[in-house]
Amino acid sequence: MTFYEEELNRIRSVIYSNEGQINTVIGVRNYIKNNYDVNLNLDVLSHTQFVSKYHLLRLFKKYHGLTPRQYLIDKRIEKSKEHLINGMSVTETCYAVGFESLGSFSALFKTKTGKSPTKYQKEQLSRSETA
Amino acid sequence: MKVTLISIPVRDQEKALKFYTEKLGFLKKKDLPLGGGNRWLTLVSAEWQDGPELLLEPAPLHFEPCKVFQDALMEAGYPYTQFDVKDVQSEYERLRKLDVEFSMKPTEMGTVKVAVLNDTCGNNIQLVEEL
Repeated sequence: MTFYEEELNRIRSVIYSNEGQINTVIGVRNYIKNNYDVNLNLDVLSHTQFVSKYHLLRLFKKYHGLTPRQYLIDKRIEKSKEHLINGMSVTETCYAVGFESLGSFSALFKTKTGKSPTKYQKEQLSRSETA
Repeated sequence: MKVTLISIPVRDQEKALKFYTEKLGFLKKKDLPLGGGNRWLTLVSAEWQDGPELLLEPAPLHFEPCKVFQDALMEAGYPYTQFDVKDVQSEYERLRKLDVEFSMKPTEMGTVKVAVLNDTCGNNIQLVEEL
């Protein structure tokens, strides 16, 4: 066993010893991955794991470093990039990934990626044409 | 400021280029001669071609402390860096068929699964999957 493996084992025993908490976080994360396109909030997520929403918020942040809301937004932006690359319109993409307002989707997309959805799509499509 | 590049020290740039493209599946992006047989050689992920570039840097050949640090990490089994994959187990099996050596088999670590491979150019590289 390498020194690194010994270190991982030590960290696992200190940080990751509570299997129930880990399963809760993984369960919520997978729920978000599979349902990012619908209206999700802490009430819904906590209900899926039978824990209080404040407990869930603390656990998710503890094990994942982000709040469920931040994780959901990242997942939606990641999926919206896929849709835009595949040629879906910006408006369709906005609703397909669960946003309810085109304005807030465009603004958030630009904040996260540095480009508007339209500009991102144009760049990606011209890239694939020249490839 | 933006993060657009990370570097990995390698003992042989041409060998590293072959390993990272032919086995790990990266794509070559930039290849500029720098004199003395050195190159500015960068790769991108095939799945994220507008993502950060990976610089294969011949630093251990020219700066002894870099070599000492790299050797120490290798001996301890510590990864120099890590790459995200969708499924660590299937990547492990795919790479084993290509004769890639692993110092750590797929192992669960809380909310992630990790494995550590040898890039044959002086580094351990960790693959990580979000569970």
